[in-house]
Amino acid sequence: MTQQDVSTDLLSAPEGEAETISDMYLTFVLSDEEYGVGIALVTEIVGMQRIMPIPDMPRYVRGVINLRGKVIPLMDVRLRFGMPERAYDDRTVIIVMELDDAPVGLIVDGVREVLEIPPSQIDRAGQFGRVTQRPVIAGVGRVGERVAVLLDPAVLVSDAEIGIPAAEMLPPEPVPAPVAMPGAEAGA
Amino acid sequence: MTSPTPDASPDIGLMRVPSQRIGRLMDLVAELSLSVAETVRSPDLDGLDLGHFDAAVHRLTMIMREVQDVATEMRLVPVDDVFRRLRRMVRELERQTGKSIEVKVIGGDTQIDKLVADRLYDPLLHVLRNAADHGLEGPEERRAAGKPATGVIRVSAAQAGSEVRITVADDGRGLDRGRILAKARQRGLIGPGEEPADGALWKVIFEPGFSTAENVSNLSGRGVGMDVLQTTMAALRGRITVDSSAGQGTSVGLHIPVSLAFLDCVVLRQGDKLFAVPIEVVAEIARPAPGDMIRLSAAGGDELFRLRGRNIPVRRLEEFYAGGCRGAGAGAGVIVVCQSGEGLIAVPVDEVLDRQQVVMKPLLGRLAQVRASFGCALLGSGEVALVLDCERLAPGGSAR
Repeated sequence: MTQQDVSTDLLSAPEGEAETISDMYLTFVLSDEEYGVGIALVTEIVGMQRIMPIPDMPRYVRGVINLRGKVIPLMDVRLRFGMPERAYDDRTVIIVMELDDAPVGLIVDGVREVLEIPPSQIDRAGQFGRVTQRPVIAGVGRVGERVAVLLDPAVLVSDAEIGIPAAEMLPPEPVPAPVAMPGAEAGA
Repeated sequence: MTSPTPDASPDIGLMRVPSQRIGRLMDLVAELSLSVAETVRSPDLDGLDLGHFDAAVHRLTMIMREVQDVATEMRLVPVDDVFRRLRRMVRELERQTGKSIEVKVIGGDTQIDKLVADRLYDPLLHVLRNAADHGLEGPEERRAAGKPATGVIRVSAAQAGSEVRITVADDGRGLDRGRILAKARQRGLIGPGEEPADGALWKVIFEPGFSTAENVSNLSGRGVGMDVLQTTMAALRGRITVDSSAGQGTSVGLHIPVSLAFLDCVVLRQGDKLFAVPIEVVAEIARPAPGDMIRLSAAGGDELFRLRGRNIPVRRLEEFYAGGCRGAGAGAGVIVVCQSGEGLIAVPVDEVLDRQQVVMKPLLGRLAQVRASFGCALLGSGEVALVLDCERLAPGGSAR
């Protein structure tokens, strides 16, 4: 099964699961780090396409694609996080999301899976990154031995300076079973 | 809802359709036309003998064009829908101004995009209010000037090419050149020694916050309305014109494209980026000879393009967009001369690719911060070009 096949299957979840969709996350990888975004905002996953550059955009917005008549700006999440640039390959995918009625595409190294992470398994952020503004990390989800850094898409695609060196964002190894923080469920 | 075809009987075959559904259909038609273009230009067909195929493609292309036209027409409504709402305001305006006003409507059956019509009411109301409040004189003043006591405001619409021109004309006292000039100088919009031509001067009344009315009335005079007009017109890719003669009245014209969905334009390439310019603003496409481009170090490095004895200010995309659009190199290139409210501007590009009808898409989300653009254009090739707004690209224009 190729990466794309996985992604198509991932999104064709059966209807009528509205009560759990807020706990569903699509995880993707950047280098050896795993991240997640809430599935509710994801409209589709597509392979890399021809990008047309657009002026007046920061470097991490690579340009736009024409996806069946929709013009979608693409953000390279590696560049957004200040990680080294990497040539796109056949695993590179675009996660298309709909935020505030505007589509946006995230360029990531590859998608992994759709996970259900209940609020009780999410350590809320606060100590990650700078706390002067709404953080780009909404929390860290524990899935068995792995962790996925859950992102706040609104902050991610905004102009907000996130200014976190990549090294600080996630320990290279899965952390040993973190102790639930007080108020971990509060934000759920 | 009124039927777009005047010969249809009024109560037969009308349907209420949610505008989102028509919007979806328009999107699909655009998608379909791009898909057709992609199929018939497929590189897999290269070198094949395709007699029958080519005939079928020709037919398909014709049908496609027709479907596009029909889809566009579906969203057209008579501009009278807006005019009727304006007419309802007249009694209110009479009561508030103490003037006797007659509104004459001409060309109400002119067709216009529903999206445009929906946004036209507020700016038009402001223009109408201005005419009633500032333009028309009171009954005594009118009689003294030998005019009938009732002031007339003519609201008219007519299609001219791909534009609809809406005019609000009053038979009032006309704009007061002295007062507008004084106010413009006081606000620093015009230098103390400058004596601008009427056409140039009238434009300052659209500057944000500009108002010469001494008493701020409930109706107008706060300088807010004209600002709304300016913003809406920019969003609709429209232009505003003002004409006035003392004692005879003022006429404000709004020129708006018929359809916001499709646009006839010239496609340009500069570096790795594609741009499109609406065909009606392209005055000329010229290839500069050596010495035609003059750099003025005394004016901060501004450039002029000499065209048949005229000096046209040059606006380079790579400078406007801060280095983001570097071209292939000096010398090789084409100059697109565009019309703007500030006069002609010369835009050098690497290449003029094509003239075509494109599908317009608004700049949403992140893309809203792109300056001097009406939106994105989907080309027949599937590529995306940025549609330039020459008004905002012009050196004197507001660089938003």
